[in-house]
Amino acid sequence: MTADSPPIGRAAVAPATSATRSSPLGRLVRRRELLLVVLTLVVFVVTDAVNSGFGQGGYISFMLADAMPLAILAVGQTIVCLVRGIDLSVATVLGVAAVATGFLAQDYGSSVWLMLPLALALGIGLGLINGLFVVFARIPPIIVTLGTLIVYLGIQQLICNTRTVVTVPTSYATFGNGNLVGDIPYMLVPGVVVTVIVAFALWRTTWGRALYAVGANAEAAFRAGIRVNWVLISAYTVCGMLAGLGGLAWLVHYDSADYTTGFATNINLYSIAAVLIGGTTLTGGKGGVVGSFIAALFLEVTIQAVVLLGIPEAWESAAVGILLLAAILVNRYQASGHSLFQALAGHLRGRPQLEHGSGPAQ
Amino acid sequence: MSVPAETQTSPHEVRRLDTDKRWVLSLVAILVAELLFFNFGVSTFWGGGWGSSVSMLGDSETFLFTSVIALGVMFVIFAGDIDLSVGAMSGFAGVMMAEFHIGGMNIWVAVVISLLIAALIGLIQGLIITYFKLESLLVTLAGWFILQSAAVAWEGPAPPYNLPKHFESLLGTGTIGGTVPNQLVIFAILALLAMLIVHRTRFGRRLVLVGYNRDAAGYAGVRVSVTRIRAFMLSATFAAFAGLCIAATYGTARDDLGPTLLLPAITAVVLGGVDIFGGAGLVAGVVVASFILGWLTPGLLQDGVGDTVTNMSIGVLLLVSLTVKGITDRRQGGSFRERLRGRFDTAAPTAPPTAPDTP
Repeated sequence: MTADSPPIGRAAVAPATSATRSSPLGRLVRRRELLLVVLTLVVFVVTDAVNSGFGQGGYISFMLADAMPLAILAVGQTIVCLVRGIDLSVATVLGVAAVATGFLAQDYGSSVWLMLPLALALGIGLGLINGLFVVFARIPPIIVTLGTLIVYLGIQQLICNTRTVVTVPTSYATFGNGNLVGDIPYMLVPGVVVTVIVAFALWRTTWGRALYAVGANAEAAFRAGIRVNWVLISAYTVCGMLAGLGGLAWLVHYDSADYTTGFATNINLYSIAAVLIGGTTLTGGKGGVVGSFIAALFLEVTIQAVVLLGIPEAWESAAVGILLLAAILVNRYQASGHSLFQALAGHLRGRPQLEHGSGPAQ
Repeated sequence: MSVPAETQTSPHEVRRLDTDKRWVLSLVAILVAELLFFNFGVSTFWGGGWGSSVSMLGDSETFLFTSVIALGVMFVIFAGDIDLSVGAMSGFAGVMMAEFHIGGMNIWVAVVISLLIAALIGLIQGLIITYFKLESLLVTLAGWFILQSAAVAWEGPAPPYNLPKHFESLLGTGTIGGTVPNQLVIFAILALLAMLIVHRTRFGRRLVLVGYNRDAAGYAGVRVSVTRIRAFMLSATFAAFAGLCIAATYGTARDDLGPTLLLPAITAVVLGGVDIFGGAGLVAGVVVASFILGWLTPGLLQDGVGDTVTNMSIGVLLLVSLTVKGITDRRQGGSFRERLRGRFDTAAPTAPPTAPDTP
């Protein structure tokens, strides 16, 4: 596991093993974060050449702010995917946090800083429920979070009770759509801070390394003295917490929330797509949050480009689907140890180079 | 030779069958309790009694297409995969059929062609999954996105409507003798078909074996990829058929029902006792579970319970029933009390919970 997953934050230092025998293009594909940055820039430049409005300051700032709820969710989703889990309920955790904080803001004009701990606490509570079910009821995570997705949607609707959040204090709008300096929106701050903190935690703390260990081989991790149950519960709890933060980010960015916020936009599925595009796999123990964060930005730029290039808006989710397919193909062959091009060439000659059910040796 | 072979079924296998059957029996008990509860508690639930179109039989029109989707996904889940694209597939098929019809095609030809194209899409997804050895969860998630886009783009600003009356009647709102909805009969036929396929054909046994242990199935000479691809084709076809029923019921193609169809369908399959990792379960359980879930919504609504609590109850039912099922599952060995204690025993190594279809 350690060989091809120096997990995060090392984009500048390519691992020596892959550098020895790959072409420059192959190395680029291996460094997922770098590849995504390049792809994002390519999409951006091409679209800007066609539609000059794309590259102007207001639009860049808007896109950065617009991608943040998804980016924060994707960071949380990554943590769960690292331990072989999946969290479908992030959409409604986001929704619950958005409407709960939204009504307080609308009715009492509470400040964003008061709402922050509330959103985090809500997320922690809901995420903890997910984790407890996964660990103690031993139900597969996809089923647990499918159930809680529905239950939390009910909580969101109970909070709303035919009302919607339509007016929030102007300080919220300033924070959600204003610029800190130049084209850098305020919204980028929580996104980057969260990503950096989680990246550091995954890379440098015992908890982070335990996540990778449990994801790669839970049995071995248990034998090595890691409290597997506690690590699993903490992963779902942190994911929930970040989804709660994502809800607050959603609220300040859109200045509105109702009973379908989150659920209606399939943001949970987009967050899973961002995680996979960012290079983390569902089989656990591989990947990192920096890739997921950049992938969320990449998805945002792509979606906006689809709109600006005059392609009907309906094809926006198809773009995400195609990117997801491409990403899992690349992930698959990186895991196999072959370069993507070797593997594809093998396929085209009718000789798949992978044995049945083979994964990375663990 | 053959006689001892039959009697030599291992005790493990006998218990497995018992567990599945016990689960179906509990589901039947839950269904009966639910119907009795609504019968005594909700005066309007039966409407004008058995003969009326507003009775619980009439209510079944609101959920039977979800049950059809559940039957389709069930094949895929039996094989240890999952298909998230079914909701979008049903929407896409409805739009496809309606657009073909508007383009001048006979409605029944359009139906057949739509089902064939759906099977083809299932084939493509299955080929991608098996040939490149990708996770079905992700490939079908991508399929969902793409089909959803295709449906919305194809239908344009206005959803197609004005379908022939005989089509809407046969697949949608029609009844037999004013009592039994056509959809119920169609669902009964499909459910019987699914039971025969899974439990009585060679393909069905291979399907379950592939889900139970993919490697063992491969060594036993089962063509694992072919079996899985067929499951995806069945799933896509069932979902497409459900989409046609939706178009017939609402009189227009609906592309907006994707997640609202998918989640209850998977809930029904899992609640019905089919192992989410494949290889265990009974079709009868899925059928009963889909009725439990289906009647829960109109029943609670007519009972005066709010929309919100009604929806939540489905999620709660899923989580609670699976927790109970896990604790009472005798396959894990030990007494009930030992199993319960094992849940909270930190000394026991935890089996890694995995997403479906991880190798």
